[in-house]
Amino acid sequence: MRTFLRHNGLSIFFLLLFVAALMLQAFAGHADFNEDQLRHDNPTMSLGRYVMSSQFGVAVLENWQSEYLQFTLFILATVWLLQRGSPESKQLDKAGRESDRDQRVGSHARADSPRWAKAADVRRTLFENSLLIVMAAIWLGSWFAQSITGVNEYNADRLDHHQLPVSWADYLGRPDFWEKTLQNWQSEFLAVGSMAILAVYLRQRGSPESKPVGAPHHATGTEG
Amino acid sequence: MAVLVTVVLLAVACLGAGCGGRSDDATAVVERFQTALDGGDGAGACAELSEQTASALEQQEGHPCDEAILDLDLAVGGEVAETSVYVTSASVSLAAGGTLFLDQASGGWEISAAGCRPSAPDRPFDCELED
Repeated sequence: MRTFLRHNGLSIFFLLLFVAALMLQAFAGHADFNEDQLRHDNPTMSLGRYVMSSQFGVAVLENWQSEYLQFTLFILATVWLLQRGSPESKQLDKAGRESDRDQRVGSHARADSPRWAKAADVRRTLFENSLLIVMAAIWLGSWFAQSITGVNEYNADRLDHHQLPVSWADYLGRPDFWEKTLQNWQSEFLAVGSMAILAVYLRQRGSPESKPVGAPHHATGTEG
Repeated sequence: MAVLVTVVLLAVACLGAGCGGRSDDATAVVERFQTALDGGDGAGACAELSEQTASALEQQEGHPCDEAILDLDLAVGGEVAETSVYVTSASVSLAAGGTLFLDQASGGWEISAAGCRPSAPDRPFDCELED
């Protein structure tokens, strides 16, 4: 058990943080929602009903979609784009999808390579891009779900103000949808871009997200 | 997995929007309200209003709700054309014209506005009766 925890500490740590933060968000969001309901002389909602509501759904999903977009773009962009001196970048002569030999696929696969890396058909194509495919699917799925929960929340607000609801397709062109989307996108892009640059000049001893402390600033694609 | 996540989230969205019986409940409130109006039953009509709306009507007209509501120019006929429910709010459009807005209180749906018609795009409806 102890070995399992040690070998999986990173994923377990973040999974626990995720669950704790989601629960706290539910409590805080529920209290905030009911405060607003009372302010407008509207009925309050139970916690159970709140976590099943569009209000909670859109607050969760607008962040999910942007996080998965961030990783989708980062995975894709780092195939071709470089950043001199950054541990987030490949070495400067490695831009692109690289050779089968470098990627250890097909006839260059080794005995311990995953089975689909050795295949010569569509399985290899799928496996070569599986991280991007899954991240992009989660991004698009959560963005779509954000639009569904978002239109519900938006329409509830319209009804409160004695306006008729709008359709989902109409909502996709409304400022509310794009404001919720872009406010999350811009922060993700800033975080990724600043990480790529700051890691050129700054270090964290022991972290694979940083270069070794003594590595020169121009060293690219090295992890500590 | 993404499909599963999407299905679960859609179910969540459906619950948030109010699938199933909540729409029928809101429609039933409006049908009772319209039936009361058609029958000249002011007290019956006022029983379907929210407390704030009934109070606003009494202040506006200077009469008790059950008298004042019969003086308003509200559409007659109870046939409902369309009901929309989102979270704790609903709108019900009548076949005869005009829209009613409802809020979900602890005891069920209550009418917060009636006799509403569009004024301008993306502006609140003009209502004969509202809180």
